[in-house]
Amino acid sequence: MIRDRGAGPTALAADGAELAAVSPRLRHRLRLDGIVRWALLGAFAAVFFPLFDMIYWVSVRAVPKFTLATFTEYQVGNAGGLAAMIEGTFVLIGLATAFATSIGLIAGIYTAEYAPPAVARIGRLAGNVLAGIPAIVIGYFGYFLFALYTGWGYTTLGGALTLSVLMVPFVYRTADLAFSSVPASQREAALALGARRHQYLRRLAWPIALPTVLTGVFLAMAIGLGETAPLVYTAGWSNTPWTGLFSPTSFLTGAIWLFYEQPPTLGALLTLAFQAAFLLIVIVVALNLGLQWLADRYRRRLRGLGA
Amino acid sequence: MSDDGGRDVEAPPIISVRELTVRARDRVILERVTLDIPDRDVTGIIGPSGCGKTTLIRTMNRMAERSGGLAISGSVRYRGQEIYAPEVNPVLVRQKIGMVFQRPVVFPMSIFDNVAFGPRLNGLDGDELEAIVLRSLERAGLLGEVGSDLDRPALELSGGQQQRLCIARALAVEPRVLLLDEPTASLDPIAAQRVEALLFELRREYAVVLVTHNLQQAARVATRTAFLYQGRLIEYDETKRLFETPREKLTENYVTGRFG
Repeated sequence: MIRDRGAGPTALAADGAELAAVSPRLRHRLRLDGIVRWALLGAFAAVFFPLFDMIYWVSVRAVPKFTLATFTEYQVGNAGGLAAMIEGTFVLIGLATAFATSIGLIAGIYTAEYAPPAVARIGRLAGNVLAGIPAIVIGYFGYFLFALYTGWGYTTLGGALTLSVLMVPFVYRTADLAFSSVPASQREAALALGARRHQYLRRLAWPIALPTVLTGVFLAMAIGLGETAPLVYTAGWSNTPWTGLFSPTSFLTGAIWLFYEQPPTLGALLTLAFQAAFLLIVIVVALNLGLQWLADRYRRRLRGLGA
Repeated sequence: MSDDGGRDVEAPPIISVRELTVRARDRVILERVTLDIPDRDVTGIIGPSGCGKTTLIRTMNRMAERSGGLAISGSVRYRGQEIYAPEVNPVLVRQKIGMVFQRPVVFPMSIFDNVAFGPRLNGLDGDELEAIVLRSLERAGLLGEVGSDLDRPALELSGGQQQRLCIARALAVEPRVLLLDEPTASLDPIAAQRVEALLFELRREYAVVLVTHNLQQAARVATRTAFLYQGRLIEYDETKRLFETPREKLTENYVTGRFG
């Protein structure tokens, strides 16, 4: 086709030098490009090296010593397993997620859809502040409120409530974001069909916002899972089977904190500390993979949704 | 409601706008606009960008007030009833007076669920719902194209099909009036033509109000056309007459392409 247009193939051929001669200026640019590329790669590696090193460090100490007993037995002295901490972690995170999700979601929807602009602004600011309060401060707050003021002492419920205070801003912020970023055109179209606001929210905005809301819930769970400080003053500690909301409980992060500090003669406890850390890492990785899967699924469904 | 196809010239208007003034904080968007929209016909509204034509139709189904900061005065009557009366529920107004936007706004759900959205708000379901969805798709000329696969995601339809889906969705609420804000502006010429033909067809059953930038489109489908300029209604007449022998100099300049 090209040949038909004119001069023929010879006119297109470059003489060797045209494409091979590299000027000093170009050589300098190429070298700079190489340096920048290595610098970027180095920074990238520096971000992830600690993660992989830590996973390795924990895994080699934890994995070879996993047995069924690690999951089923209760720790007594320098023996037993993590059964109490696993139970406690699931109960605490389950309850705290339920509390944080219900309150955070409703508050987020209110902020995005109903609140006057000034109130929404205050709400968003407060949410950010709450997310930034150190966990230990929230722990003390929970201790005074749920252990002392209520007279409950150390309880699972108090621990879960305190943990939910820490988690709620993450659900709240993402719920607000999720509902605020539903395209205005969708709302207009729903209202033009005669939808009332709650109908718009339930039938149209909710399915659109759900994947983002779930991101917030998963994020809150991952953050809640990693916390020790809000629980040590509220949930107390117990290495026996869990007996109820108003009894104390233990948790995996607590096992790391307590058992890692034990003298070398209690080697089994040190192993339990590493195994607790390993389990937490596995749960957090699983949460993130689940989140990724959900996000992909919904992105496909919402593809083409105009802003 | 006579169904013999002959239009009664003396029939009362379905919407009458009287002395409608809409003010934003710093300017007047519409100034003392008065016009009647006939039933079962296509009425065009033309005018340059920013002349207030979109605001005018948005006041006709009480969508304008949602933009906030607008002061609306004057009167808009639907079949003789003041739609801005305090006892009137805007939700019911919007069910009687449907609206289709410039860009097709498809909901991220199936074709069926899109069309069923409005009827479901009113508690319809089962066979009755299915019948109304099929009827609406049929009326919008989409049933033949999408065929039996109504569970397909609506976002997979082409732009033109999406816009006709939006029309079907509006029709499913069984309105009497359909307001369309430049419904073909974002479509390719062939898709635009199909929507246009559909609007012409719909005038048998509905009052259609068509805001358009496209003068030829108004000339083709609208029986009467209103020309708005800077918030004022300059001229409102039979379309043919408005285009061929405009009374106002401004209209003449606009329809002959001297500005706009």
